[in-house]
Amino acid sequence: MIESLFVLSPTGKVIIEKHWHELIPRRVVDYFNDQVSKAMAEGEDVTREDVLPIIASPKYQLINVYRDGLTYLSPVTKEVDPMMVFEFLHRIPDIMQEYFGQVSETVIKENFVTVYQLLEEMMDDGFPLTTEPNSLKEIVPAPNILNKVVNTLGATTSVSTRKMPHGMSNLPWRKAGVKYNSNEIFFDIVEEIDAIVDSTGKAVSCEAHGTIQTNSRLSGMPDLTLSFVNPRLVDDCSFHQSVRFNKWESDKVLSFVPPDGHFRLMSYRVNLPSQQNLPIQVKPSINIGANGAKFDVTVSLRNTDGKPVENVVLTLPLHKSTTTLTAQCNVGQYMFDPVGKVLRWDIGKIVPRERAPVLSGSFGFGSASSEAAANAGYNIGVEFLINSHSLSGLKVDVLKLFNESYKPYKGVRTMTKAGRYQVRA
Amino acid sequence: MSDAKFFQRGKIQELRLELNSDKKDRNYTRKKQTLKKIVANMTMGNDMSSLHPDVIACMSIPVLEVKKMVYLFLINYAKAKPEMAYEAIQTFRRDVEDPNPLIRALAIRTMGYIHVDKVTSCLIQPLRHCMRDQDPYVRKTAAVCVAKLFMQDRHLVENAGFIDLLREMLVDSNPSVVANAVAALTEISERSDHIQLQLNMSIASKLVTALNECSEWGQTYILESLMFVVPQEPGDAEMLAERIAPRLQHANSAVVLTAVKVIVYLMNYMSRDEDIQSMCKKLSPPLVTLLSSGPEVQYVGLRNILLVIQKHPEILKNDIKIFFCKYNDPIYVKMAKLEIMFRLASEHNVEQVLSELKEYATEVDVDFVRKAVRSIGRLAVKIESTAQRCVEALLELIQTKVNYVVQESIVVIKDIFRKYPNQYESIIGVLCENLDNLDEPEAKAAMIWIIGQYADRIENSDELLDDFLYTFLEETVEVQLALLTATVKLFIKRPTAGQDLVPKVLKWATEEVDNPDLRDRGYIYWRLLSTDVAAAKAVVLSEKPHISTETDNMDPVLLEELLLHIASLSAIYHKAPTTFIPHCKPRFLIPSPALRRQNYNVGRTLQHQDSYSSLHNTAQFQQGHNMQSGRSDEVDGGLDEFVSSSKQPQHQRLSYHEQSFEQVAEASIGNQEYYEQKMNAENPYRTDTAAVGGSQANKGGGVDLMSFDL
Repeated sequence: MIESLFVLSPTGKVIIEKHWHELIPRRVVDYFNDQVSKAMAEGEDVTREDVLPIIASPKYQLINVYRDGLTYLSPVTKEVDPMMVFEFLHRIPDIMQEYFGQVSETVIKENFVTVYQLLEEMMDDGFPLTTEPNSLKEIVPAPNILNKVVNTLGATTSVSTRKMPHGMSNLPWRKAGVKYNSNEIFFDIVEEIDAIVDSTGKAVSCEAHGTIQTNSRLSGMPDLTLSFVNPRLVDDCSFHQSVRFNKWESDKVLSFVPPDGHFRLMSYRVNLPSQQNLPIQVKPSINIGANGAKFDVTVSLRNTDGKPVENVVLTLPLHKSTTTLTAQCNVGQYMFDPVGKVLRWDIGKIVPRERAPVLSGSFGFGSASSEAAANAGYNIGVEFLINSHSLSGLKVDVLKLFNESYKPYKGVRTMTKAGRYQVRA
Repeated sequence: MSDAKFFQRGKIQELRLELNSDKKDRNYTRKKQTLKKIVANMTMGNDMSSLHPDVIACMSIPVLEVKKMVYLFLINYAKAKPEMAYEAIQTFRRDVEDPNPLIRALAIRTMGYIHVDKVTSCLIQPLRHCMRDQDPYVRKTAAVCVAKLFMQDRHLVENAGFIDLLREMLVDSNPSVVANAVAALTEISERSDHIQLQLNMSIASKLVTALNECSEWGQTYILESLMFVVPQEPGDAEMLAERIAPRLQHANSAVVLTAVKVIVYLMNYMSRDEDIQSMCKKLSPPLVTLLSSGPEVQYVGLRNILLVIQKHPEILKNDIKIFFCKYNDPIYVKMAKLEIMFRLASEHNVEQVLSELKEYATEVDVDFVRKAVRSIGRLAVKIESTAQRCVEALLELIQTKVNYVVQESIVVIKDIFRKYPNQYESIIGVLCENLDNLDEPEAKAAMIWIIGQYADRIENSDELLDDFLYTFLEETVEVQLALLTATVKLFIKRPTAGQDLVPKVLKWATEEVDNPDLRDRGYIYWRLLSTDVAAAKAVVLSEKPHISTETDNMDPVLLEELLLHIASLSAIYHKAPTTFIPHCKPRFLIPSPALRRQNYNVGRTLQHQDSYSSLHNTAQFQQGHNMQSGRSDEVDGGLDEFVSSSKQPQHQRLSYHEQSFEQVAEASIGNQEYYEQKMNAENPYRTDTAAVGGSQANKGGGVDLMSFDL
């Protein structure tokens, strides 16, 4: 069970502290900060992200999550399910995001009391309790403009008159009495490609992760059935708790009563065959000598159904001993960060059948270069997105609405983008 | 309204006035604002406790938000100022009977947090009521409250009938109540000496029904509790596993991993291999999906996967690609992936694995590069058909002259030489070019071993050894031992080349060094060489036992235990929980007619015990024997026997781990020692009088030899 929680600022100061069992002294935070700086001092390339998420100390196991500069630290003395702790710790910024629109040290400080009330509801005695944003908003009001006005005017707030939280209804994720003038529901199918591509353009490993983000603005208790043209493309999937699993098992349709507002209906994974035509091809060549290297990178489109590829950005981390870089490109612009030693090439949009973007140049190692520099391997990180395109080919067939009589507006968008996509040079 | 401006120090008096102001305060807005300020100050660590009479006076205000803040205040200060809690008792009493279930629940929850005896004793009666409250929200809060109370006063909970009430709640009509009751019972069972949760099939079946309807967290509690079901028939295990399987598709990774844990546990009680196989097939995709989450979840997933595939190698055997490392994976994820890649490597995919490893060896992170290089060597040892390519890869890496890569390569090449004698010796020349840069003991020892082993093939082996011997006295014991043995090998193989070096090194080893192992080995060599050169040859150049990467496998008893702890810290550290968590109940597979006989491969383990443990001492060997018998008891069914042997795995693990991969390579030395001791044992005093080392040697040797006690 989770015993205590500390939320730490980017400099390691305690912003939030909450204990469900015994009081754990703040010393533990000092110890943790020491361990983090020790770990980061181990090598030049070690960043905060490389620090272990579970650190053993003599008395506590320090389970921590680092997100957006803030650390969510939960020291435990007993055996716990770390997966549960991580899931819960991630939920905290998720919910704050939902409540305040953004998460930062300042935002937390500005909403201290709300944050504490939320934590109180999210966990009881170390057991996660209510973490559904829909139910939480019933118990702890979000600080929206209306509330502020109400507060300053001293008008009635509805908190005292609220009835049961819906956490206990049969559908814990949906509140009753939702009403909209225009009923609409939107589905965003976003597929991210994770791939490792070798220098010849062959995919070493390659898979697509899809999510269906949904924004439901439907009145009453709508019961929906969403079916796909080709559901069997999906290799593994996980669902929002509203989805009736048996229906999926038997008919491969998504049958559910949606929560109100934004939620992730489904995530799925598609294994792509290694001969899969990836939408974009990056051809790097780097010739390393003793003091530096010459390089050129060509980007071309392959399999995009004639659609343009947008927001194309390539990043090439260089060896730490690199001091100089000269380059030129025919499209977009490049930037060399001499501190982080990263070359970033912002290409922008690539339209099919236009000339292929090329970046070429050379970089040099400083006087302290070593064998390691001359033998280091290079990887290029690739970002891009393609609108109205689904790499896996998954397509929504039809959405049916039961239990309500209105005809909702339905919208579906698809998008493919690079996830963790990298090319080896 | 921003809360930030509330953080102003030293305004207690002002706050008090605000709180007590009798200005018109419709809907208590002003009071709410003031309380907000107080709570905000409190959370910043500013002492607000002196305001307690005024704050507690607000408890009577029938507004939930106000109550919440007062309760926050109480929880924060009651521990330090119990009298504050006394003043609140009356209001608590009223609140637990409030018509609003939220207030009833809040009152119970808050009282549970206040560890003050008087409050606790006032809690008992209302808590009992609340456990049967008509409102499920109150019942579910009350269930957790029992667990809370248990932490404060075990006897109270055990004697006041709360356990029975919790048990009744297991069949509550509301799934969330069931989930919380289960969570509380599990928690209590894990901490209590008297209470052990055990669920029969009919309860288990009801729990699984509730599983489909409760929240994600409730699902983890219920799944976890299913670890306390002992299926009596294989059919029960299969049915349960089937019904749990849909949880593998949950969006919450904690639900998924706990479901994996229960299914892996239930597989112990299934009889038909095809059922087990079909379950294994279901486990692969969700485990793969875990790896698309954030790095923390990936890490937990990877560490657990490493356990699961050791027991069920068919899981994920075709999914090796998902474990390939991305350059920007956090280091800890890369390291964990690498271990799994090595384990999944087989004839079918070895080509891909090797090319990945070569790629990793060019990365910047030193630890990761080392591990990649080491894995190339282990791969050669594991899969014979790829050995040639691995050796080539290692040679290429040595050519880079990157110091740590060279050293790591030499360490593993030694293992390759041991595994495949007389095949790759042609590369010795290349290795010898890199002698000057070796500065790590392990690499030095490996190189010295190679020189000694091939003393007759390396033309200038005597010069090379002489160079190393130059710093003999400054070296670590590891290197000194290697030097000693290598020099003796040289002498036996090429007496003329070694004759100058041997006396020198024997004298150092026996006279100048404090380490008893080194000294003893020195004496033994000395005596052997001076009494019977043929025997010395037989011992020193004896056939080496085979090495294999099987020795990386985890001790099967530990593995079995850790599999019961999937999704826990133990599974991350790969250590039994009892070794690092105080007051932790050990878990074991409870015998039932359906329990499959555990395949511990007793023969192999015993053999290891035989050849290695006896080197250390007889007692440990005995321990090994006990282990074997203890284990068969446990399989045959006696719970008592099991409990008595449950403390032993630690010993077992110790002795087993001494044979980890690196050390097995040393076994050539161990084996010699073994022979040597055996010879001594046959005639313990034979060499004493003949000892060359003179009186001093006589004394030292006599004493130390006695302590072997064979």
